Amino acid sequence: MFCYQCEQTYRSDEGAGCAGAKGMCGKDAATADLQDTLLYVCEGVGQYLHRARQLGATDIEADRFILFAFFTTLTNVNFNAVKFVELIQQASQIRDRAKALYEDAARAAGKTPESLSGPAAFTPASNMAALLAQASEAAVRKDAAILGEDVVGLRSLILYGLKGVCAYAHHARVLGQERDAIYETVEHALDVLAREERDVATLLDEAMSLGRANFLAMEALDAANTGAFGAPTPTNVRITPVKGKAILVSGHDLKDLHAILEATKDKGINVYTHGEMLPAHSYPKLKAYQHLVGNYGGAWQDQQKEFAEFPGPIVMTSNCLIEPQPRYRGRIFTAGPVGWASIRHIADENFAVVAQAAQALPGFTEDAPDQTITIGFGRDTVLGVADKVIDAVKSGAIRHFFLVGGCDGAAPGRNYYTDFADEAPKDTVILTIGCGKYRFNKQDFGTIGGLPRLLDMGQCNDAYSALVVATKLAEAFGVGVNELPLSLIVSWFEQKAAAVLLTLLALGVRNVRLGPTLPAFLTPALVDVLVQKFGVQPVGDAKADIEASLARAA
Amino acid sequence: MYKVSLLTRDGATIAFDAEPSDTLLDAAERASIYLPSSCREGGCGACRVSRASGEVELMSYSSSALSEEERMAGDILLCRAQPRSDLALRAPFDEAAVGFAPIPERRATLVALEPAGSGAMRLQLQYEDDPTFGRAAQFTAGQFVEVTLPDGSAKRSYSLANAPNWDGALELFIRVQPNGAFSNYLRDHAAIGDTLLIRGPQGQFTADEASAAPRWFVAGGTGLAPALSMLRQMAEFADQRQCRLFFGVNKVDELFALDAIGALKTSLPQLVVTLCVWKPEKEWREFVGTPVEALAEALSTATEPPDIYVCGPPALIAATEEAARSGGVPHDRIFSEKFTAA
Repeated sequence: MFCYQCEQTYRSDEGAGCAGAKGMCGKDAATADLQDTLLYVCEGVGQYLHRARQLGATDIEADRFILFAFFTTLTNVNFNAVKFVELIQQASQIRDRAKALYEDAARAAGKTPESLSGPAAFTPASNMAALLAQASEAAVRKDAAILGEDVVGLRSLILYGLKGVCAYAHHARVLGQERDAIYETVEHALDVLAREERDVATLLDEAMSLGRANFLAMEALDAANTGAFGAPTPTNVRITPVKGKAILVSGHDLKDLHAILEATKDKGINVYTHGEMLPAHSYPKLKAYQHLVGNYGGAWQDQQKEFAEFPGPIVMTSNCLIEPQPRYRGRIFTAGPVGWASIRHIADENFAVVAQAAQALPGFTEDAPDQTITIGFGRDTVLGVADKVIDAVKSGAIRHFFLVGGCDGAAPGRNYYTDFADEAPKDTVILTIGCGKYRFNKQDFGTIGGLPRLLDMGQCNDAYSALVVATKLAEAFGVGVNELPLSLIVSWFEQKAAAVLLTLLALGVRNVRLGPTLPAFLTPALVDVLVQKFGVQPVGDAKADIEASLARAA
Repeated sequence: MYKVSLLTRDGATIAFDAEPSDTLLDAAERASIYLPSSCREGGCGACRVSRASGEVELMSYSSSALSEEERMAGDILLCRAQPRSDLALRAPFDEAAVGFAPIPERRATLVALEPAGSGAMRLQLQYEDDPTFGRAAQFTAGQFVEVTLPDGSAKRSYSLANAPNWDGALELFIRVQPNGAFSNYLRDHAAIGDTLLIRGPQGQFTADEASAAPRWFVAGGTGLAPALSMLRQMAEFADQRQCRLFFGVNKVDELFALDAIGALKTSLPQLVVTLCVWKPEKEWREFVGTPVEALAEALSTATEPPDIYVCGPPALIAATEEAARSGGVPHDRIFSEKFTAA
């Protein structure tokens, strides 16, 4: 295996990347190699779909499959090698279909179909042993010697950004929101990857195109979530257990949560959110369920301890799953793209078995003291008080906004974000998204002019909401987003965050501090481009970074 | 063997022994002490602690998990450190962050008892609702439980034959032994509604989920139970991998659980079953001989080496290991659970 897609990738003096028997995330070498192969076959699908689309022919089922297939390969999503053998066979069949679609369309247009090479012509084996023997043909760095490190790094940025786009677009799709423009960009990017483009400027353009597609994907997901469940409103969420049978729901998929709430209605079972599911409490149609009682635990990296202590079943609807420990292996379920060998998987959105498990397990035997936090500051809510915000900025009551958000993780360097929130002066407002918030979201930050100083805007994809707010405020002030007293302090871990970063860059948002470390796949030359061209800075010392941000604004 | 003592942030001392070849994390887990960790590969830093005294050897780790300064200051990663002396460690977490997993003790009711062939009995038990564990039967397929008779006079361990379930059901196959304490209970005293004390689940005879190889099960007599459990679990998960079952008894009349095996052939269509009778006392059309002989024959035509799971008397295990070795199966791909007469 060779994988360096996430922030946690193995780093040493000799370089970065997980290349042993198992990656830092727990993904074994076979799974990693099969994931590479699946993506490679998908590139072949993209080669045909891209050409077919130019001739007016599309296959939306194939596009949907690509979203799902890519999602399974994000960090901490699917670890089940056997599942990838199955997905590769499906991808291969879909590629045959895409090929026929393209060739028929070409002939119908009076053209001779191109004979494609690369992934389009790769024939995957049908069993695991043979697939593993082929995997080197699909490896991320397979042509590094020919392409050069910068090109390989840029290709990786595109591949991983594409994963994030696909994941968000998949989340939106399950709730009925799809955008043809996203599919078009995905197909285009797959074709670029397949043809081994070497021109740095062309590759950078492709990355920016993905950044724009990701904005669309986040917009679609925002429309999906708010369309299905209403616009988030400020909500007090209990963060301590309530006596009774219990289910814990993790990941990002609000539709799955809704299905679980329906499956457990009137059964005396309480449902808790975990990690990125926290924002669910702020959606009117979800919080209407009285048995959605609270949020349990912290960010994903604490799950092995927290899940072990949770007295009921646990459902992982998307990332981030880490190796289920023996103490809760029997009562954790996966859904959607998530998987782990020997863990029960729910493929049909029928969560009756989870309700059954909750009733068979002890649940919480007593009420813990009531404690709450406030969430639900989505775009509607914040813009609803835009006048107040604008006045507070003009009067100097609010000196600066810090968007401190993104992914959390276990690395000690992530204390930076805790320190940053702690040290931010009292006349600054902290906006947050993603699970990075768990580093500080249980603290009392006080208020400024009636507004809470900590505004939880939602999941990582609610970066969309933050961007809408920033754009509207910039309009109100008559300045560009980069002239706002706003600094973005981004923590990344996996590929959804990589896609969000590409969106920020594509939209020309500067003043982004990125940490806790920069992506390992970016070469020094590429980091230089990010710094020079896009104003991205690595995080440093929290206090110094706050001062520098405030000095820029002054 | 070295002594390791770990002082938690809230002042609790946790002690365990560690072999020089163990990582400290593994050594603690061997003592049922589950210390906080995540990647277990030296990459995340979740298991970083500081060393007050003693020496360790650190296997490779990522500098993002443990910086040079931290290492110089005495910090180590539990997942990467092997002891080279007795150790005193200080942890950055509270005792509450440490998991301890004593083996559960629960009460179960006998709900069914019937002969299983001429030499064994099938028991169906139902866990009582328990404030700590609920009523679920949570275990890993292949594990066993220790059962105590209602009068407390005897304890025996038996593998579970069913798959983990939320109904709290436990299925056991018990070989009838002349004058065995348990056999006497089953023959003379057992009544539906009896309460038995169950200590478990226990045992490490479980499927290696990380392996993609075909799974072959070799079962002698009531050694069928853990194979049934693992196969039923595979059926529940719609596992696609190749699997075979070699089930052997001495006489045709001793065969049991044929309905369950038949059901598995439907729910796990790729399963190939070889029923073996060593000395058939009547007409027998299937394999005549031991399951090990059937295994050896199958191995001679196998296209890829399987993982072999064998449960039965010690002689069957030894013979299986020998046959597997001759058949080209690496020693570490043979997993076994012995049972002895009691």
